[in-house]
Amino acid sequence: MDPFIRLENVSMLYGNNGVSAAALRGVSLSIDAGEYAVITGESGAGKSTLLTILGGLQVPSSGTVLMKGVDLSSLSADRLADFRRETIGFIFQAYHLLPYLTARENVMVPMSPARSSPREKAERADALICSVGLSGKEERLPSELSGGECQRVAIARALVHDPSVLLADEPTGNLDSATGEQILDLFSRLHKAGKTVLMVTHNRANLLRATRSIRLRDGLVAEDDPLMATYQAQ
Amino acid sequence: MNIRKLAWKNLFRRKSRAVFTGLGIFLGIGTFVAIASLTVQMEQAVQDKLDRYGANILITPRTEQLSLGFGDIALGGTQVAHSRLTTADEKAIRGIEMKERLRSVVPFFLTAADASGKNLVWMGMPASEIATARPWWKITVAPFGEKGEVVLGSEAAAVLDKGPGGTVTSKGKTFRVAGVLHPTGEKEDGMVIASIGEVQSLAGNFRGVTFFEVAALCKDCPVEDIVAQIGDALPGARVSAIRQVVESRKAAVDQFRRLGLGVSAIVLAIGGLMVFVTVMGSVQERTKEIGVLRAVGFRRRAILSLLFWETGWVSLLSSVSGAFIGVAAAMLAAPLFGVEKAEAAFSPALLGVAIGMALGLLGTVPPARRAAALSPTEAIRSL
Repeated sequence: MDPFIRLENVSMLYGNNGVSAAALRGVSLSIDAGEYAVITGESGAGKSTLLTILGGLQVPSSGTVLMKGVDLSSLSADRLADFRRETIGFIFQAYHLLPYLTARENVMVPMSPARSSPREKAERADALICSVGLSGKEERLPSELSGGECQRVAIARALVHDPSVLLADEPTGNLDSATGEQILDLFSRLHKAGKTVLMVTHNRANLLRATRSIRLRDGLVAEDDPLMATYQAQ
Repeated sequence: MNIRKLAWKNLFRRKSRAVFTGLGIFLGIGTFVAIASLTVQMEQAVQDKLDRYGANILITPRTEQLSLGFGDIALGGTQVAHSRLTTADEKAIRGIEMKERLRSVVPFFLTAADASGKNLVWMGMPASEIATARPWWKITVAPFGEKGEVVLGSEAAAVLDKGPGGTVTSKGKTFRVAGVLHPTGEKEDGMVIASIGEVQSLAGNFRGVTFFEVAALCKDCPVEDIVAQIGDALPGARVSAIRQVVESRKAAVDQFRRLGLGVSAIVLAIGGLMVFVTVMGSVQERTKEIGVLRAVGFRRRAILSLLFWETGWVSLLSSVSGAFIGVAAAMLAAPLFGVEKAEAAFSPALLGVAIGMALGLLGTVPPARRAAALSPTEAIRSL
């Protein structure tokens, strides 16, 4: 069976005025559906770049990215947007909620271009807000929510189109350890519910819940430990 | 939640920016509508004044130049009329198809006759038509009445040494001088002017008319059509539009229009620039937000749509309020520009709203295209 995600010799160069720096240098990876992979590494190792390439937010300088058998670099910008909306849920470290919208409205944002009725959209948003444990806070603005609550709203927003894969970039980076644990619990629940989860993190404690650890160093895969589940079980 | 609501919410979040964006359109459309409304009213006022100013069609008998000579000796020439005009022709003129366009039809009769011993030209016209046919005349004391009174041209008064209250005799009949015409620079300065009936009587030509002056209402100026219809009604007459008058009317009206359009174009260009600058600034400010929207699956068209809705709301509100203020300003300012009866002109207001919307949306095109082309990684990099 084909892997859910496959990267073949992916490189990414950032350049300015003839000077270029390699963020990724020939990364090859396969991730199966239902995995919970944690991507770790020092600052500048290429973690976020890898995540944006996996999410189709940018095209690699060379190499191939296949997700569900689709070559992302072959898609037009709009088709890629459709693919992201249908397949991928993004969660950012800084939440990136729209400050002038309530929690419910923020969750509804990805559904804005859709033609379904406002009631259907609101019901879907409320169900997701309830599922992340924020029932009763649908009408609050981000400024009226704690950091952990904002991140839960961001997770609900990422789940709105029921994506196959969740890509999270340091989702607990702005949270205290207790709140971070709650968010990680939520990711574990989502993983158990069948989602593929890829999480970039600095925090090695996050490894405990994952089924796989990928460590990057200088744009290369330094370690790839697919036995985390066994380790976790022990 | 849909794109329209998202746009509306964002406007409320950035009220001062929205107000500033709208201000450009508001001022531009307000100025345009005020000037356009004023121009429309001034056009109408100028038209009315020009229509009141005098005749624009002249009807004379059709003539031919006849050369006279004896052998090789040229004795000059003379004009021979095919037929003569009479007072009965007025009825034919007033019976044309476009008769509702005729504001006045004034018969004139000219004859040379004795005036207290001097041979002068007498001009007869209906006393009741003086104000219509010669509104620029200034007469010291009073115009003539229908019977027994004359007005002397300024030169004629000097030749006869007569003034108001004096008398002029001709063919045994005595006329009281009712007034003296201020110098006009025209031939009537040397004439004795009286009621047409009196002058016809002096000439012994009781129904004769030398020429008719017709004042046609010249809105849309179908003068050539009116001329053709009068020509058909009076086959023996030569009917000609006084083109200079018609052209000057058009020129005056066009000048007002050009001035208005020029000023409006400048103000609208500034308004459009303000929209462009503020929306461009908004896009710069919201790079991260646009990147997030792209990351959660917004197509480029959805980003364009979002920005167009935002500017659309602002443009609509500011255009409508600008048009309303423009119409009100035009009505208030109208008396200062010589418009006696100020009326609300709605067509410039509707045009203003349409232009305001177009301006707002066109000003949004470059920044919206830039926003739509933004890579979602812009947001990711700002993490």
